[in-house]
Amino acid sequence: MDFMIEAKDLTKKYGDLMAVDGLSIGIKKGEVFGFLGPNGAGKTTSIKMMVGLLRPTSGTVYINGTDVQKVEKGTIGMCPQELMLWEYLTCKESLDLMADMYEVPKKVRDPRVKKLLNDLFLVEKADTIVSKLSGGMKRRLNLALAVVHEPEVVVLDEPSEGLDPQSRRVLWNYIRAMRDKEGKTVILTTHIMDEADQLSDRIAIVDHGKLIRLDTPENLKKEIGEGDVVDMKISDTSRNQDLINELAKEKDVISVVEINGRINIRALNAVAKLPMMMQTVERLDVQVADISVRQNTLEDVFIDLTGTGLRE
Amino acid sequence: MKFISIAVKDFKELVRDRRGLFFILLFPIFFMMIFGFAFGGMGENNTPHNIAVVNLDQGTINSTGSNVNYGNNLTAELQDQNYPQNNDVKLFNVTTTSDSNAKDLLRTRTVDAELVIPANFSDSVQSLINNTILSSTGQTSSANKITSTITISGDTSYIGFGVAQGTLVGYLSQYQQGIVTAITGAQPVQYINTSVQSIPGTTSFTEFDFLAPGMMVFAILLLATTVAAILTREVESGTLLRLKISKMRSFDLLFGGLIPWSLVAGAQVVILLVVAILLGLKWQGSVYSILLAIVIGIIAGIASISLAMIIASFAKNDRQAANLGTLIVVPTAFITGAFFPLPAEYVNLFGHTFQIYDILPWTHTLTALRSVLVYGSGWSVVSSDVIISAVLALILFVIGVFLFSKTRLGAES
Repeated sequence: MDFMIEAKDLTKKYGDLMAVDGLSIGIKKGEVFGFLGPNGAGKTTSIKMMVGLLRPTSGTVYINGTDVQKVEKGTIGMCPQELMLWEYLTCKESLDLMADMYEVPKKVRDPRVKKLLNDLFLVEKADTIVSKLSGGMKRRLNLALAVVHEPEVVVLDEPSEGLDPQSRRVLWNYIRAMRDKEGKTVILTTHIMDEADQLSDRIAIVDHGKLIRLDTPENLKKEIGEGDVVDMKISDTSRNQDLINELAKEKDVISVVEINGRINIRALNAVAKLPMMMQTVERLDVQVADISVRQNTLEDVFIDLTGTGLRE
Repeated sequence: MKFISIAVKDFKELVRDRRGLFFILLFPIFFMMIFGFAFGGMGENNTPHNIAVVNLDQGTINSTGSNVNYGNNLTAELQDQNYPQNNDVKLFNVTTTSDSNAKDLLRTRTVDAELVIPANFSDSVQSLINNTILSSTGQTSSANKITSTITISGDTSYIGFGVAQGTLVGYLSQYQQGIVTAITGAQPVQYINTSVQSIPGTTSFTEFDFLAPGMMVFAILLLATTVAAILTREVESGTLLRLKISKMRSFDLLFGGLIPWSLVAGAQVVILLVVAILLGLKWQGSVYSILLAIVIGIIAGIASISLAMIIASFAKNDRQAANLGTLIVVPTAFITGAFFPLPAEYVNLFGHTFQIYDILPWTHTLTALRSVLVYGSGWSVVSSDVIISAVLALILFVIGVFLFSKTRLGAES
């Protein structure tokens, strides 16, 4: 298959630390590709290598069949995790500047900047100095600056970080529109399950620099079953392991793990299994402090695959 | 023309960052004021100036047919002059000697200045007298107009020379005036030229006159600290990363940045000149000398920005850049002689002898600015220093672009 971006056996070592360990990924043209993993999993390092900003220790990256170091500048637009803005320029001046840096002709630039400001709800702030914008507006401008030259590939590194719900909605709609209306290839890194689930066509789950799983969100969720999760906390957390051992023996329980002092029990039709679980609790003579039942999420997939919750 | 967009961006940032701009412009003014108040009255004390007189005058035949030597007369006059405000103290300590010996005395700073009376000095004085008499009786003569040039030489980076030459030029003008007034009381025609750099003389040259151009050089050097911090901030804030993945080349970024900042350097020369004049700088230049000084300042600005690129190649954050900048800029300012002239240090390289401080572009900036603003020199006098400073600035710029591109604009490894 022809990939827009193809990374082969990508490795990055910092001294003894293996930040990225033999990553091989193919990203299709026109898809939103999610990199999901906790902070420090190697997501940013991976995409920095994939856009040619960081030299890999070993391995290769091809963009549309061309070595990333030789690819024409402007093919990729990158929206970094941190705000990278000129504090003393206005929104419009910043966008004009970046368009000039990508050699966008003035005739094309002016209507494009206008549309971008409009799409990202920044029209009213077009002539406002960046230092006077709110956090959400700065985030949106951060994104606009990455796409002002209409790159084929857009890389968004943790774009929702620190966004208010309104700005997040604007951002998500914009990302979908880039794929659906403009046919862009979008690479997204996030540690927010919901974001990866809602936006991505395919998701790569990475941890400790390694690719753990790569599939569509639906398939990933299916893989661990359609079940529910019972999230339980007992008063005496020192007895968590005893309870886990007992519950694991039950044939209706698919899996049981401890996450941050709480016990997560996954089972089909979990509500019907609650009496059985409570009996086990009573048998061990422990008290339930808190209990809830919820639907299986991508986070549970992550827990199932890594044996741990997302690290902050 | 991406560098123009970068220049416009940098200019906007510069103007909008009021606090930064205030600091850049105000700090050197503050220094200038301190130096103005501290040294404004100094140098006007009544101590004799040590001068070496080389009298090459061959004498002439005067109207009565006798042989006279006005060179000897001038030498004697110089020896006899007392301070007008203190009649017991001589104005000059005169050593009459040969040219080569005078140069040695200059080098060891035994004398402050050397005065060479040319071979045709008496001829020109006689010509002055004859023509003055003729013009006072209504006749004109074009046959015997002889001019001569008295050369005053010395080390322009030595304050003693600055004071002595100012006094000498002033005195020589008086001497010529004296001859004419003695005959007719008319205005003199210029028959005897002086060339230090023939300036309208001032007898009250102070240390501040000597130091004010140094403050300008210090201000321009300080730009290196500010620009290094700004360049590092561009790295820190990540905006450089944005530019780096665009089609911008290192040249666009660095050349674009050079434009507004070198204009600031030019502006600083003007602002500081105005402040210095308000504080009593005895400046006798013209619009032309201001323009020349701005050009000299801009070249020094380019050198400072290049130094900033070198600093920004190694500093990890803007605070480090500011600290490293200060660590480099302040000693450099001392070495160039911005605050006071350092003793001359020579090195021998490839068979040529160099002043060790001459390797810095700002040393030449200082010499040129002092010549233009204080001694009133024109392009012909300062051209060599301006050209050398431009070449050194260019070398520094190339080094700066190379280092900054290598450390900041390539892919991380």
